[in-house]
Amino acid sequence: MMQILPKTNIDFVGRRKYGFTISAVLIVFGILAFVMIFLGRANLGIDFAGGTMIQGNFEKPIKVGEIRKALKEIGYGDAEIKELKRERPNSFLIRVKASVEEITTVGENILAKLKSTFPDNPFHKDSMDEVGPVVGKILQRQARLAVILAFVGILIYIWIRFDFRFGVAATVTTFHDVLVVLGLMFIFQKEITLLVVTALLTLAGYSLTDTVVVFDRIRENLRLFRKKGDFPSIINASINEVLSRTVITSTTTLLVVLTLFILGGEVIHDFAFALILGIIVGTYSSVFVASPIIVEWEKKSPKRFK
Amino acid sequence: MRRGKTWVVFLILFLVIVSLFYLYPSIKYYSLSDEEKDELKSEDPQELVNLEKKAIKLGLDLKGGMHVVLQVDKSKLSPAESKDAVDRALEIIRNRVDQFGVTEPVIQKQGKDRLIVELPGLEDVDRAQDLIGKTAQLEFKLLPSPEVTTELIVQIDKLLSGKTEKETPEEEIKEKKEEKKEKPEKKVEDIFATDVDTTEDIFEETYEEEEEFFSERQFSSLLEPSRSFFFYVPMEYKLKVDQILDKPGVKKIIPSDLEFAWATKTEWLRGIEYQKLYLLKKKVEFSGKYLTDAEPRYDQFRKPEVNFKLTKRGGRKFALLTGANIKKPLAITLDGRVESAPIIQSKIRDQGVITMGTGSTYENARDLSIVLRAGALPAPVKIIENRVIGPSLGKDSIRKGIMSALIGFSIVLIFMFIYYRLSGLIADFALFFNLFFVIAAMAALRATLTMPGIAGLILIIGMSVDANVLIFERIREELRTGKTVRASIDAGYRRALLTIVDSHVTTLITALVLFQFGTGPIKGFAVSLSLGVVISLFTAVVITKSIFDIRKQYKSLSI
Repeated sequence: MMQILPKTNIDFVGRRKYGFTISAVLIVFGILAFVMIFLGRANLGIDFAGGTMIQGNFEKPIKVGEIRKALKEIGYGDAEIKELKRERPNSFLIRVKASVEEITTVGENILAKLKSTFPDNPFHKDSMDEVGPVVGKILQRQARLAVILAFVGILIYIWIRFDFRFGVAATVTTFHDVLVVLGLMFIFQKEITLLVVTALLTLAGYSLTDTVVVFDRIRENLRLFRKKGDFPSIINASINEVLSRTVITSTTTLLVVLTLFILGGEVIHDFAFALILGIIVGTYSSVFVASPIIVEWEKKSPKRFK
Repeated sequence: MRRGKTWVVFLILFLVIVSLFYLYPSIKYYSLSDEEKDELKSEDPQELVNLEKKAIKLGLDLKGGMHVVLQVDKSKLSPAESKDAVDRALEIIRNRVDQFGVTEPVIQKQGKDRLIVELPGLEDVDRAQDLIGKTAQLEFKLLPSPEVTTELIVQIDKLLSGKTEKETPEEEIKEKKEEKKEKPEKKVEDIFATDVDTTEDIFEETYEEEEEFFSERQFSSLLEPSRSFFFYVPMEYKLKVDQILDKPGVKKIIPSDLEFAWATKTEWLRGIEYQKLYLLKKKVEFSGKYLTDAEPRYDQFRKPEVNFKLTKRGGRKFALLTGANIKKPLAITLDGRVESAPIIQSKIRDQGVITMGTGSTYENARDLSIVLRAGALPAPVKIIENRVIGPSLGKDSIRKGIMSALIGFSIVLIFMFIYYRLSGLIADFALFFNLFFVIAAMAALRATLTMPGIAGLILIIGMSVDANVLIFERIREELRTGKTVRASIDAGYRRALLTIVDSHVTTLITALVLFQFGTGPIKGFAVSLSLGVVISLFTAVVITKSIFDIRKQYKSLSI
């Protein structure tokens, strides 16, 4: 029998203070990111903010500065220009967050300018996304609605499956995970795009799964040891029992998402990044956030689950 | 125990056969090379269409193409008109797209006033954009006299150089006018005699212009005067010209019955790209609603043009207009831009010709005929979202997607085998079936595969082993308590089941929400994720259990 983790007996519950501290700090960032998004100050992708994004490659090497200079001459000095090292050679991503009504003119202007400024180094457009402010608003509304609905769905499910305390703990944990990942994305200066929101929702489901697995075991053990054993140690034993499952599943999922992150290309790079963060945070939270909440609660007002 | 499970074996066999049935067209279609496709197309076109229809569809992000969202501007319509404006716009655009010849276009209404147009595999984006985005409001307008045009440009220059008329002595203005008029004055004679194409010896003069001129002639220095009734504007100045014309002060001095208008196309002269700028009378003398037919053709100089026919009433109106303006230019505008401005040679009745702008191809004439025939949109449409994916990027994405899927899949297979030995192999077997069934289900449901969809497939590779991990860990625990292998297996499955169902439901909830709200690519992700989760319940639990049940008794278990 091969085991990554031999039968463990780690005192997670006793170390819950560390977990709470780390989580508190990360959540502050998450809330900050959330507020920034609401104020429109966050790094929203063009899906939500509106704008133009062009991806393509030059035939010969060229410096970002040269492109910037050219774009500055036609009034797009604030364009974001990124060399895409994982794509074909001399690939660039040009992004202009201009909330203009005539969306097709920005792309046209940029392509015309590149053509006239670098006549012997043609730029081949691979993709172009032009999103008008109206669509940005619609997509924002849709994303908000999707997030709310997903959480309502999760809440209903938790409400059916668990009693009040476990339900609250699972909900808090799920919120915690999404907020922390959002905060980390903010710290890493990643753009919030439609795909990133998709990743956030996916990891909400994933992290809840992790929490549910731990909770199922806690409830099972509480039934088994109804009379004996003190509450924190039952919880601790439960976490330790499912720990190898938690680690193995997280590992396999993390491995595939890592391949996606490394090999998947620009389109889903940030998406994969958010998922990586989500898997790590989700695993951490099922151990250090979800169960300790139950312990704290039991300590404050003993109830002894049936 | 064993006999009771024979139905599972049959069920699996049945599902495999059904899956192969649904996957067959996809396998066949995507293994065809381009040459083989062409061959099949000439031999049996219906067969190719059938294959294409039954094969898993690739999303725009993988296939290349364009996704456009249009907003119908109903603001200027009466309530009665606006009622079915969006539906009519949809019909007209569908009509145009059909004539354009794109395979499997998608044209849908979204919300109250939006249209989604998806044109897969389309490479000539500009053409497509022209075709769907044009209101195709064909209008005929007259031009003011050259004196008026010149005067206005002088006025704009003055305004920009900060001198208003009051501050400038009268004489100076006159002087300037004379000076400016000199060239245009000559133009006047030529304008009506020759046609549009006059580009010789225009440019030298402009380049000789001295520095000091620029401050006083901020506007006219951007324009290359032509001997005709329009100006050539180098593309690099276009933005500036637009900015100047947009200034409130400038707007104020442009007479209310006149307007500036750009040509529909740019043209290259001596290595520089230009766009023509016209000054037109605002009044619409004649419009495209009297058109009955339009056809592209070549004129005697092999230049493309569009031949149009008019209704009787239209013919009478047009004859009046053209008869009264012989030897004068008539601007033909399409959605506010000037297609061309030919000189009226003689009275035209029920049949006319639209001269195409310089540099136009026969294709341009054909596209213009299409939009004219399909009719003008009931209201202008605005492109509010435009996503274009080149075919090469799509191919790259497919390659990368398949690559990451294969590597991710291999890693998980190897990991499970190393960690759980033979039991891990059983889980691998289930994982393989999971992917196989998911792809087959996507084919059966006519789902569209997108890049996020591929990411979803990869994600379920990692996530769907969770069920087996839960079961195997449980079996190990049971074994540790000293139970027999058989009892441990049964208990492991039984006890893990509830948790497995739990964990699947949570993922399903979010996947379904994403499906409901997602746009194309994200829907693809939701589809593959939810199918994978549901199917893994069968493969990871039922299939593996039936494999464990092949043997009734175990002395030991490789886990």
